[in-house]
Amino acid sequence: MTSLLEIAGIGKTYRARERTVEVLTAIDLTVSEGEFVALVGPSGCGKTTLLKIVAGLLPATVGQVRFGGRPVTEPPPGLGVVFQEYGRSLYAWKTVRQNVELQLRHLDLSRARRRELVADALDAVGLGAAGDAYPWQLSGGMQQRVAIARAVAYRPRLLLMDEPFSAVDAQTRADLEDLVATLWKRYGMTIVFVTHDIDEAVYLSQRVVVLGAGVSGVQADIPVDLDADREQIGTRSSARFGELRTRVWTQVRRTPESEMV
Amino acid sequence: MKALGYALGLPAALVAAWWVASDGSTNVFLPPLRTIVEAFRDVWFSDTFVRDVVPSLWRLAAGYAIALAAGVVLGFVIGRWAAPRALTGPLLAYFRVLPAPVLIPVLLVAVGIGDTTKLVVITVGAVWPILLNTADGVRAADEVGLQCAAAYRLPRRTRHLLVLRGASPQIFAGARQALGLSIILMVVSEMLMSTDGLGFTVVQFQRSFAIPQMWSGVLLIGLLGFGLAKLFELVERRALRWHRGHTGQLTERP
Ligand SMILES: Nc1ncnc2c1ncn2[C@@H]1O[C@H](COP(=O)(O)OP(=O)(O)O)[C@@H](O)[C@H]1O
Ligand SMILES: [Mg+2]
Repeated sequence: MTSLLEIAGIGKTYRARERTVEVLTAIDLTVSEGEFVALVGPSGCGKTTLLKIVAGLLPATVGQVRFGGRPVTEPPPGLGVVFQEYGRSLYAWKTVRQNVELQLRHLDLSRARRRELVADALDAVGLGAAGDAYPWQLSGGMQQRVAIARAVAYRPRLLLMDEPFSAVDAQTRADLEDLVATLWKRYGMTIVFVTHDIDEAVYLSQRVVVLGAGVSGVQADIPVDLDADREQIGTRSSARFGELRTRVWTQVRRTPESEMV
Repeated sequence: MKALGYALGLPAALVAAWWVASDGSTNVFLPPLRTIVEAFRDVWFSDTFVRDVVPSLWRLAAGYAIALAAGVVLGFVIGRWAAPRALTGPLLAYFRVLPAPVLIPVLLVAVGIGDTTKLVVITVGAVWPILLNTADGVRAADEVGLQCAAAYRLPRRTRHLLVLRGASPQIFAGARQALGLSIILMVVSEMLMSTDGLGFTVVQFQRSFAIPQMWSGVLLIGLLGFGLAKLFELVERRALRWHRGHTGQLTERP
């Protein structure tokens, strides 16, 4: 497998007046094409910061990110994002369909192809009939589906997801996890999935990367050797799942300023 | 139907009371409503309409439109970028409290008595609420929405439009205040420096002791303001339906 994303020696220091906060130090991480990587760590350890640097939305203080071989200095083509705040990432004055279509309008696509991509993406997330609704007419889980459809319609090579399901209830969350797993296989995207939920990280990913607060570098990089076909109850109750989650737990707990529960 | 009854009930009762109480009034300054209505018909359903109402409406429309365009553009620039905001901060603080009518004597000397002066007075007076509200709205643009737009590589122009649309509730609030101000400034500027227009006509009637006619002018200006405010409300309700939905003020689910 070729590497799609190379994060080399990334460090980030926020400077505000007299106060400076060193959030990330010497982060190295390589993600292969088609991989599903989960990024976990205590809150405040810099997961969101790292994701924004990868997306080209925030400059790193030191180090370099390469996406598809090119250094990232601004958001590169072929990148999709899904943030936790679904209510704020969609445009409330646009319908679901318009939200999903917006970024396609600036690509070199025929009208017919654009329509097809939008319809396919809405179907893929189970919102085929909701195209004319406005985001605020939908539940939180459905709004997050719209944000996912927006990413899918864009056919990204890399999808960055920042705690996408932290704000939805447990049942919806399980459904959305399975949706993401299905879409990952179906569209062959590479996914970097930030979560503070260790079970979610193990359940979804092929590899769990642990970031620590105030720790230099990546704290741990744990391959998840579960079956490719996973299922909420069966997978989560398997012995191997239990071992893996314990391993990840141990790593996260080793973080000095851990705030994780 | 019931709502309409409530809305019209009190005004209708007051007009009726005015009609009855003033009927037979001999006070020259408070003529019977009947006389005022007759004067209204005689004065405004004539060529006075073309000579005085049309120029007033034109000035109002032009002054307001320029204020709207300038206020939104300047407000956008000031709200979006820190440098122009820092640069204009003290100036804005000064002008926002300066009452626009004090400009009238200044402009009278500088520009003269023509239409330009009145347009400048209306524009300069009405631009502030639009500018300040637009700047506030633009500045409060949602960071998450903007980051999505940047990540999906939307062109600069599209991102600017998203910011403006997101700020439209504030822009409308400013535009509503500005509309009221524009009407006041239109009338005041015509009273002080004009040879035609609604404000001019009312003052002329007053000076020539045509009291019922003067009252009819007051009535017309009131009706004009009311009509424009209602029209504005209609446009605003349509344009900001999404905002009421987004903020949970809309119960219907189409
Ligand atoms: N713009 C900023 N300026 C200063 N400090 C920031 C800024 N953004 C985040 N931080 C700080 O950086 C740390 C990491 O934040 P974040 O990347 O959001 O962590 P996580 O997503 O892992 O919870 C936090 O302590 C936060 O307070
Ligand atoms: Mg975060």
